[in-house]
Amino acid sequence: MEHNEKDLAEFERKLRLALQHREAPLGLKQRVLAQSRSRARERKLAQHGHRWVVQRIAASVVLAAIFGGLAAYRQVEERRKGEQAREQVLTALRITNRTLDRVNARLAENGR
Amino acid sequence: MREPLQWRESSRQTGQWQPDFEALVDEHQSMVFSLAWRMTGDRGLAEELAQDVLLELDRSLGKMKSADHVRFWLRQVTMHRSADALRRRRANAASLGTDLWEELEERHVLVEPFEMDEDSPLGRRIEELLAGLPESQRAALVLRYQEDMTPEEIAVTTKAPVATVKSHLQRGLKLLRIRAGQTLKEYVRGA
Repeated sequence: MEHNEKDLAEFERKLRLALQHREAPLGLKQRVLAQSRSRARERKLAQHGHRWVVQRIAASVVLAAIFGGLAAYRQVEERRKGEQAREQVLTALRITNRTLDRVNARLAENGR
Repeated sequence: MREPLQWRESSRQTGQWQPDFEALVDEHQSMVFSLAWRMTGDRGLAEELAQDVLLELDRSLGKMKSADHVRFWLRQVTMHRSADALRRRRANAASLGTDLWEELEERHVLVEPFEMDEDSPLGRRIEELLAGLPESQRAALVLRYQEDMTPEEIAVTTKAPVATVKSHLQRGLKLLRIRAGQTLKEYVRGA
């Protein structure tokens, strides 16, 4: 029994020795690192490309907002100026109307 | 198992483990390659698998929490990938009508034996004999005797119950001893 256990222990020892790590093939590490770097570069490029698209969209939105704002401002300004001109014309018409009323009144007095 | 110095230092300084991929490849490439080779019995395939597993580690580096986590992850992924590769090869062999084990035996005869003990015929043949064992027994034995893992750790890695792992270890060891004994007798007769 004890002999058998000793045999087993000896066999396990030999198994451990036989199953030591083997040397990795030459160049495995270099290949892995090269692929890893190339993937990192691709990821960076993809990220850069993505960022560039986002920047272009943002720039387009800002430009659209500026031009849209300018157009709206010009429209409001034109409307305001039109309103002002209309007010001035109405004021002038009121003054003219009042003057004509007075002239009419005097003519009526003189006619009597 | 101890963590390499640079990891312990960086962990201590920042309070968080910061992996260095190159150092990890240096540390684990032979373990990954040996596992893949002993599981598949094919050096070329093992090299491909090792490369894939290490690149997968590069992609998953952000999820790694410690050096032990990396070691566990690498063993698990290598075992799964090797099992997948064997399954694929078996399916191909079945469709071509060839016997996988004959093919593996041929490959192992071509494999240069590991130089552990020049005078020991048993040591030289153990790896070849291991290749002839059923996959689950071979996996248990490789993890136990190559990686020095406990049956409980093997159970977690292979996602199998501990009792099953213990049974695989026992049966595998018994079978290997019988076959090794036969080899020794042949050697003695030959001498």
